[in-house]
Amino acid sequence: MAVQVFRWKAIGPLLLFLLLLAILLWLFAEPVAKDTSEEVGTELLGTQVDIGKLDIIAKEASVDLSALQIADPFDLNRNLVEASEISLKLNPLALAEKKFVVENFRLSGMRFGTDRKTPAKPVKGDGFAPQALRAVRQWSQQFDVPLLKLTPIDTLKQLVLNPTQLTTIRTAQAVAARADSARGALERSFQQVNIKGTVDSARGMVTRLRALDPKKLGLDGTRQAIEDARATLKQLESAKQRLNALEQQVKGGVGSLTSGLGTLDEARRKDYAFARSLLQLPTFSAPEIGQAFFGKVSIDRFQQALYYTELARHYMPPGLLPKEDPGPERLRASGKTLRFPKERDWPKFLMQAGQLDLAIGGDSPLRGAYEAVVQGLTSDPSLYGQPTVIHTRRTAEGSAIAGIDVDAVIDHVRPDRVRDSAAARLRGVKLPSFTVPGLPFRLNPGTGGANLNFALKGDQIFGRWSIGSNQAGWALDSAGRKLNSLETLVWRVLSGMKELSVDARVSGTVRSPKLAVSSNLDRAIAQRLEAVIGEEVAKAEKMVRAKVDGLVAAKVEPVRRQVAQVRSQAEQRLGLEEKGLDDVEKQLQAEIKRLTAGLAPGIKLPKLGI
Amino acid sequence: MFALLKLIQSIIKTLHSDGTPGQVAAGMALGAALGLTPLMNVHNLVVFSLIVLLNVSFGGGMLGWALFVPLGFILDPLFHAIGLQLLEAPGLRSLWTGWYNTPLLPYTNFNNTVVLGSVVGWLVLAVPIFFAARWGVARYRATIGARVQQSKFYKAITASKVYNFYRLFRPE
Repeated sequence: MAVQVFRWKAIGPLLLFLLLLAILLWLFAEPVAKDTSEEVGTELLGTQVDIGKLDIIAKEASVDLSALQIADPFDLNRNLVEASEISLKLNPLALAEKKFVVENFRLSGMRFGTDRKTPAKPVKGDGFAPQALRAVRQWSQQFDVPLLKLTPIDTLKQLVLNPTQLTTIRTAQAVAARADSARGALERSFQQVNIKGTVDSARGMVTRLRALDPKKLGLDGTRQAIEDARATLKQLESAKQRLNALEQQVKGGVGSLTSGLGTLDEARRKDYAFARSLLQLPTFSAPEIGQAFFGKVSIDRFQQALYYTELARHYMPPGLLPKEDPGPERLRASGKTLRFPKERDWPKFLMQAGQLDLAIGGDSPLRGAYEAVVQGLTSDPSLYGQPTVIHTRRTAEGSAIAGIDVDAVIDHVRPDRVRDSAAARLRGVKLPSFTVPGLPFRLNPGTGGANLNFALKGDQIFGRWSIGSNQAGWALDSAGRKLNSLETLVWRVLSGMKELSVDARVSGTVRSPKLAVSSNLDRAIAQRLEAVIGEEVAKAEKMVRAKVDGLVAAKVEPVRRQVAQVRSQAEQRLGLEEKGLDDVEKQLQAEIKRLTAGLAPGIKLPKLGI
Repeated sequence: MFALLKLIQSIIKTLHSDGTPGQVAAGMALGAALGLTPLMNVHNLVVFSLIVLLNVSFGGGMLGWALFVPLGFILDPLFHAIGLQLLEAPGLRSLWTGWYNTPLLPYTNFNNTVVLGSVVGWLVLAVPIFFAARWGVARYRATIGARVQQSKFYKAITASKVYNFYRLFRPE
């Protein structure tokens, strides 16, 4: 009896099962999509994302979201952004390839910086966004923002310094070790190039040629002798090249040692600052006062800009090579999911053009209606071929706000030219108040203007944050404590100042950024402090310098001499080797000339161009 | 405990079903896909449909699923490694790029390392599973099968209502 391959009677139950599956999918698609969107959004942005409702309109290939809330990762009690309605029109062809191409989107009822009813949960785990958040927090901690010390100095304290705490001594020891190792390396290099051996062999050749008489040698013998001399000349030329290479190496090594000496000066400046900090001397350096007053608040702004730039760089990588993402969360291992972008095809995610209607309501001075345009926001910028452009303009009139402009360009099209920049200009906005770190003063800048410019080109960071106001107000926050004489002096300066102008800049590389802050306050405070405590501080600083110099001089001077010795010995030896080569080369040339003259007397031969 | 009882029930029923050892083994080889690979994927819908539509032992399929689930979890790191090797192989990049940009194919999640690695693993193991299961079922029936069929335990299991539903998919 033949065995049937198909079980026809099972078709009915199977279709029923598939129908049931389809019904379940239809029933639960929206809640599942909502939960997944919240999870993915939270994971991607590193902050809690809540969606009130999600409607899938299959016929139109569109999705409507309502009551979207994105918490501020830097302040969990606030929402970064809130939107009451969002409508996304998806491209159905791209959707068939599991790609999300938003042909058009509209947002309405958008609000920024609103208070949350319940604080957002901090995002933990090893996702990229939480890691980036931790990294930028760590980044912001590397800035050495000094606290303004306003301790009165009645008498000069005794300063006790431990030499092991001084950077200069450690640096000097390192430079000395490098000088020793450079000396050894140079010696080995001289031996390797073996100039002496070549010169000795060439001298032997000269001696041999001098003993030859072209008339006795005959034509063939003389020609052979000339060939031998030319071969030796070639060896000399090769030795010269080796010597030139060695000279470059010497220059590099000596240059590195010289720059090491430069770090000694820098280390000594650090030691002065360290020793000064032990005395807790009040500063009247305007840049230090500026950093003490506005350093922290400026870094907060730059840290936020850097965080979002890092996210953009991670989620919008340039190039067309396969890209790895973590796989989906499930009971089984997630693995990795690879993307295989292809030229002239859809990216995994693309927001072609979006228009936003922003409405900021309530009592905020930012209230009004705004328009914004987002173009080319994509996961594969190289496929899209154009930078992402975000452009926001305020269109409402009759409000106290003079204007808000935000422009951002994310250019990740080419791997060798990754550039991100953003500029925000706000006029007539209520600036947030803040406490001056370490001091009992609170600044309420009032209504004014604020600018933030931020750019990251490769590893180079450029940031500028400035605020200006003519309604600045100051409050004492001393919690009943009586101000000391210096604090009273500074308070007198501050409380009379209504004008505020702060300019903070960050520059350098992401790994090694530099912060510079200046304001009209620090200049005024510095002048007053200098007038009152300048003489006393100058005395203390002189003592600090003398103490540091006394400890480090004995260690630094021998190192300077050692470096100079390495340099002069290397240069001297190079000179001698060069001279030896030149001398023997001249002698050889002369012998060749003599031999060729004997070969054909009376005929002037062209000069040998070796 | 309940899951364990269901597993025993499934094993007993399958081993005494009317299907030939080959039909039971084919069901188990197909069912192994459900256990070895992450369940919620399109290929498993196809495999499940095949178990239902083809004249193989449905119980064998369910048994294969149940038996290979723990193995799937254990082998996940290996599947990930296999999948990663395949997806990163320069010679296969054009194939994956083509599939990735073809409508519907990306919904199979072939570009996930664990999915691809486990499907490949299952394809490799399917034939050995089939032959091993066929030999095992035949040996069981030839040795202790008849005695078990006379036991009260077996009768209690086959009398359940679930068994009646199961009979719908009994091999012919």
